[in-house]
Amino acid sequence: MSSWYMKKSLDNGIAVSSRIRLARNIKGLAFPSRMTDNDRQKLNETVKNAILESNTPFSKSLKFIDMEDVPENEKFSMVERHIISPEFASSQKRRAIIISEDESICIMIGEEDHLRIQVIYGGLELEKAYDVAEKLDTLLSGSLNFAFDSNLGFLTECPTNLGTGLRASVMLHLPVIEGEGGIADLAQSVNKIGFTVRGMYGEGSKAIGSLYQISNQITLGISEKNALDNLKIITTQLIEREQKARESLNKIKVEDLCMRAFGLLSNARLLSSEEMMNLISRIKLGQSLGIIDCENINPMGIFVEAQPYMLMRKFGTMSADERDIYRANFVREEIGKEKI
Amino acid sequence: MLCEKCGKNHATTHIKTVIGGVVHEKNLCGYCAASEGYNSIGHNSLTEMLSSVFGDVLASSKNAAATRCSCCGATFSDIAETGKVGCSECYTTFYSELLPYLKRVHGSTKHAGKVPNKAPLIVKPREETVEDLRLRLSELVSSEMFEEAAIVRDKIKKLEGKGNE
Repeated sequence: MSSWYMKKSLDNGIAVSSRIRLARNIKGLAFPSRMTDNDRQKLNETVKNAILESNTPFSKSLKFIDMEDVPENEKFSMVERHIISPEFASSQKRRAIIISEDESICIMIGEEDHLRIQVIYGGLELEKAYDVAEKLDTLLSGSLNFAFDSNLGFLTECPTNLGTGLRASVMLHLPVIEGEGGIADLAQSVNKIGFTVRGMYGEGSKAIGSLYQISNQITLGISEKNALDNLKIITTQLIEREQKARESLNKIKVEDLCMRAFGLLSNARLLSSEEMMNLISRIKLGQSLGIIDCENINPMGIFVEAQPYMLMRKFGTMSADERDIYRANFVREEIGKEKI
Repeated sequence: MLCEKCGKNHATTHIKTVIGGVVHEKNLCGYCAASEGYNSIGHNSLTEMLSSVFGDVLASSKNAAATRCSCCGATFSDIAETGKVGCSECYTTFYSELLPYLKRVHGSTKHAGKVPNKAPLIVKPREETVEDLRLRLSELVSSEMFEEAAIVRDKIKKLEGKGNE
């Protein structure tokens, strides 16, 4: 299996990825903010042994990585690939991960909770992702004494994660709903039912590339299944809404928009991250509408691989100006796979 | 009502924040709300709610700084300031202080999900504190169940009487 962003988009490509995260802590051990380096090292070893010596398929497919051994460019490129959180990457404290070859499974040790079990897949695959995370959780709970209370469920450092400790999220590409100014309404309505919408790239209220993440907020008093079902219902409705809105677009206008993006990316000699993301978003839209008719182009693959640290991981450390040159070259080459 | 920021569009987003007992109100249109970062309402409000609710509890709880968790040494003030709980034992130590907040965030204080292998099957019910009873009393009163409320009220009196002896 390949990384989530290398998966060929199915259907209309609106659902980009599905992610499951389970927060777990060990009873009697201070939560990560209050842990000493010694505690951390012990925790890393304990979790490592719990998995690698479990004699299950996981013990063969997962590997342990001490974050101290990971170079900076690689660390931050992991953030861009959605494997670890930005806080985890920039922390100076002793931290480790346990990760699968295709990076779909990653357990962060010593992030905000002792363990953050994460599974991420391309497309709309919530159940499949949860299934894997749940198996890992069950395996770990066999040898680690997880902090659990019959009323409050799994105990977490931040009380907003109490209960199931489950954060399920789906990343959606919503350029047309966004273009119609519908995101604020959308955020308000999903918020009322305990979900949240946020831009995946870009800061604050500005989302770049029209990529939005929908995730559950409530974790106490709701079962995992209900939380996943609700998220799936909301997601399906949003996909339908985006799809409908796409059908009513002015054909020549949208064709112009997508082909202009194609023209720019095929010829640019300098390309900033933001410009790249906005243009690739249009390529993605064009591809799903059949305007850019080529299977060889994988917009999400380009989107992720042309991020700053992903480029430096490949071509070495360089300044932002130099990156714009490398980014333009890289994208030109990828887009060149297209033959219209 | 018109948006108080642009004064052009109809205000559709109404934001109320309570910080230290002071209520702030904002009425914005969708676009202005988005420009102020309120399109990710859940994300902001949770963190805001955290400090505001903890602030309320902190003000009413005199021993916030006095009681320490026997496992990690955290006080309730530490938790309220950072929004982070010290260790799993803190949930027992500061149960009654945390409860109102949990209720506001999640709308429930009863786990409904997976139970790990090792969790004990029979859990001894925790003895109810005066704070628990007060919370229940206000719930019963607001749902107009006065007979039950009277019983709870008497229990509170009894418990408080004990404390004064």
